[in-house]
Amino acid sequence: MQDKCGLFFCSYRAESALFPSGFQRACLAAFLLALVIIPLGINSYYVSILCLMNIAVIGAVSLNLLTGLCGQISLGHGAFFGVGAYTAGILAAKGVPFLVTLPASGAVAALAGMAFGLPSLRLKGIYLAIASLAAQLILEYVFLHWESMTGGSNGLMLMAPEIFGLKFDSDIKMFYLTLAVAALTVLAVSNITRTRPGRAFVAIRDHYLSAEIVGVNLFAGKLQAFGLSSFLAGVGGCLWAHYTNFITPEQFNIGLSINYLAMIIIGGLGSVLGAVFGAVFLTVLPEALNAVAALAGQMLGGDPTASLAALKGGVFGLVLTLFLIFEPDGLAQRWRMAKAYWKLYPFAH
Amino acid sequence: MKHPLRRLARALAALALIVVLAAPAALAQEISIGMLADLSGPTADVSTPYASGLRDGAKYINEAGLLGAAKLKFTLVDYAYNAQQALSAYKKFTSQDNILFLQGWGTQDTEALTQFVTKDKIPTISASYSAHLTDPSKAPYNFFIAADYSTQVRAALKYFKDNWKESRAPKLALMYPNVPYGLASIPPAKEYAKELGFELVGEEIVDLKAMDATAQLLRLAKAAPDFTWIGGTTQSTAVILKDAQKLNLKTQFFTNIWGADENLPPLAGPAAEGVISLQAAVAYGQDVPGMKAIEKLTGGKPQMTHYVRGFASMLVMAEGIKRAQAKGKLGGEEIKAALETLRDFDPMGLTAPISYFPDDHRPNMTAYLYVFKGGKMELLAKQSLERKKEWLGK
Repeated sequence: MQDKCGLFFCSYRAESALFPSGFQRACLAAFLLALVIIPLGINSYYVSILCLMNIAVIGAVSLNLLTGLCGQISLGHGAFFGVGAYTAGILAAKGVPFLVTLPASGAVAALAGMAFGLPSLRLKGIYLAIASLAAQLILEYVFLHWESMTGGSNGLMLMAPEIFGLKFDSDIKMFYLTLAVAALTVLAVSNITRTRPGRAFVAIRDHYLSAEIVGVNLFAGKLQAFGLSSFLAGVGGCLWAHYTNFITPEQFNIGLSINYLAMIIIGGLGSVLGAVFGAVFLTVLPEALNAVAALAGQMLGGDPTASLAALKGGVFGLVLTLFLIFEPDGLAQRWRMAKAYWKLYPFAH
Repeated sequence: MKHPLRRLARALAALALIVVLAAPAALAQEISIGMLADLSGPTADVSTPYASGLRDGAKYINEAGLLGAAKLKFTLVDYAYNAQQALSAYKKFTSQDNILFLQGWGTQDTEALTQFVTKDKIPTISASYSAHLTDPSKAPYNFFIAADYSTQVRAALKYFKDNWKESRAPKLALMYPNVPYGLASIPPAKEYAKELGFELVGEEIVDLKAMDATAQLLRLAKAAPDFTWIGGTTQSTAVILKDAQKLNLKTQFFTNIWGADENLPPLAGPAAEGVISLQAAVAYGQDVPGMKAIEKLTGGKPQMTHYVRGFASMLVMAEGIKRAQAKGKLGGEEIKAALETLRDFDPMGLTAPISYFPDDHRPNMTAYLYVFKGGKMELLAKQSLERKKEWLGK
C-alpha cells in the first residue's frame, strides 16, 4: 500500500519483495556506499560512535523481533546480550576462532533466552515483563558469581577479533565488521517478518486466541521468538565484548535492557527500520548532549558541564515521554509521513 | 656587496619572523588532559566533588607554573557511569583532543579502558582503587593515588588487631552489596582476618539502594561481632547505621573509602557517631601545605575528601609530566616511566607519600582511619602495612 503510484505487481513474490522499486534499490546502494566511504574520512571518535550504533542496531532489532513483533515484553535483553559477550570472552580465552565464537555466542544466548522464555506460555504482558526482569537479575548474579568462568568482579579480557589472519584491531576495521553483522541482522529480521513464523509472531502479538484458532502453536511461536531474538542479542554481545576488549557484569545491567526498550519505543515498535532509527537516536543523544555542554562552555565561558549534566537524565526522560505522547508509533512513523508528504507533494491529499 | 647584505637582511628577517611566531607557541605550549566524570549517573554524588578537585588541581598547576611555560588544558566529559559513553568519550579524547594523560573515574570505565590506554600509551590515574589495577603486568598504564581497596581493609584489620586488649579472638562481620565493587575486597579481608586471628561470625548482603537492613542486622546481632565492615556507599552505610541504632547493636562499624564521607552525619544523624571511615586523603581544613592552596581556590568553603583526592591526583600527574619534561621528551611512555621513578613523593601533604615502581603500581600501603565525632571526621590513625609481593594485584 505504501508503494509508489504506478507500481504494478504481476506476482505475489514481486509484491512481497523487500525493495520493489529500482529507486529504492538505488537509494539503498547509495546509502550503503556512503556508509562504507564516509568512515574513511572522519576521525576515530566518530567512527567509534558508528561502531556503537551498529552494535546498538543489532540489540534493538533483536529486541524488536521479540517485543515489537511477537508482543513478548522483555526486560532481560541486556542480560542476554551479556550472555553472548561472556560466551565470546570464555571461548576466545580458549583460543576458539572468532568465526566460531560469533555464532556460538548467539547459540548460547538463544538457549538462555529460550530457558527464560518458557514461562511465556503462562505469562503475558506485565507478568512476563517481571519474569524477564527476574532473568536479568539471575543472569547478572551468574556473571558476578561464577568466577571461574566469568572472572567475577574482575571481569574478562579479550583481544581484537581475527578472521583468516586479518586482525580487527582498529575502529575502522571494527566498523566494517560490525556494519556487516548489523546489515545481516537487519536483513535477516526483515525477512523473518515475511515468513510463516514471522506472521505467526504478529498473530500472537495481535490476539493470541485468534492465532491459536487459526493453527498457530503459541508455545512454539513464543519460544522461537525468544530464541531468535536472544541469538541476535548474543551476536551483538560478542561484538561488544570484542570491541571493548573488556567485560564486567556492570555493563549488562538493567540499564542496558531499559535502553534497548527505549530504542524500540522511540524508533517504533514492530518496525525493523524503527529499531534502527531508535538505536541511532539513543546512541547519538548522549554524545549530542555532551557536545552541547562543551559548546555552551566555550560560548558562556567557565565550565557549565556540571550544571548541564543534571539536565541529561531529564532530557532523556523528556524525549521518551514526548515520543509516547506525540508519536507513539515512533520515528519510523515520522519517516513514513515524511515519505508520504513528498509522494503527494504538492497536493496535501 | 649589496647582494650579500640583502641576503643577510632577508635571513635575519626570516629568523626574526620564526622567533616571533614560535615564541608564543613555545610559551603557550598546551598539555591536553582528558577527564572522565559521572555528573549525572549513579555515582554523581561522589564524582562531582572529585571532578571539582581535578578542575581546581589543573587551575592550581597552571597558576603556580608547576609545569614551567606549559599549561594544562583539560576536557571534562560526563559519561554517566556508562561503559559505552566512557568508550566514546575516550575516543574523543584521543582523536580530537590529543590527550597526553587521562584522569578517569570509576571501576567500570577504568577497567573497560585498560587495554585501550595500554595500546595508545595514555597514562591514567583513576578513582577506582581495584587492587588488580596495581599490577603493571596487567594494567601497565594505570595508576591511582590511594591504597587499593584490599590494602585499605587489611590496614584497618591490622589496626584493630594491634589495639585489641582482650584475650579472646576479635569477632568480625562483613556487610557489603552484591556488586563488583562490594565483592572486590571480601576475599582479601577474609584471608587477612584469618591470618591475624579474627573470628568471622557473619556475612550479610546489603544492596546499595537498600531502604532497610533490619533483617541482616538482626542476624548479626545474634553473632555479636566486635567489628563490622561496611563495603557500600555513604547512602547504604547510613541505612545500616540507623537500623543498627534502632536495634541497639553494639559493634565497631568501619567503612571503606566510598562507604563514608562528610555526607554521613547529615544522612545518619547521631548513628554516625564513632564510625570509622578508611580514607586516603586529609580532610578539609587539616594543617598541611596543600590545604592552603585548596582553601584559597575554594574561598574557604569546605570540600569533601573526594575533592582533596582529585586535587592530589592532579599534583601526582603534574609531577610525572614535570619529570618527563626534564628528560626532554613528553609522551605517554615517558610520563609513565617518569611516574615509575616516584619515590615517597609528597603531594603537599594531601595524601600519604607516593611511590610507583615499574613492577608495582601500589602508590603506598597506608590508610587513614577517620572517626566521626560530633558530626566531623577526625583523624584517628595512619596505618601502614608492609609492601608484600604476594598482595600485589589481589
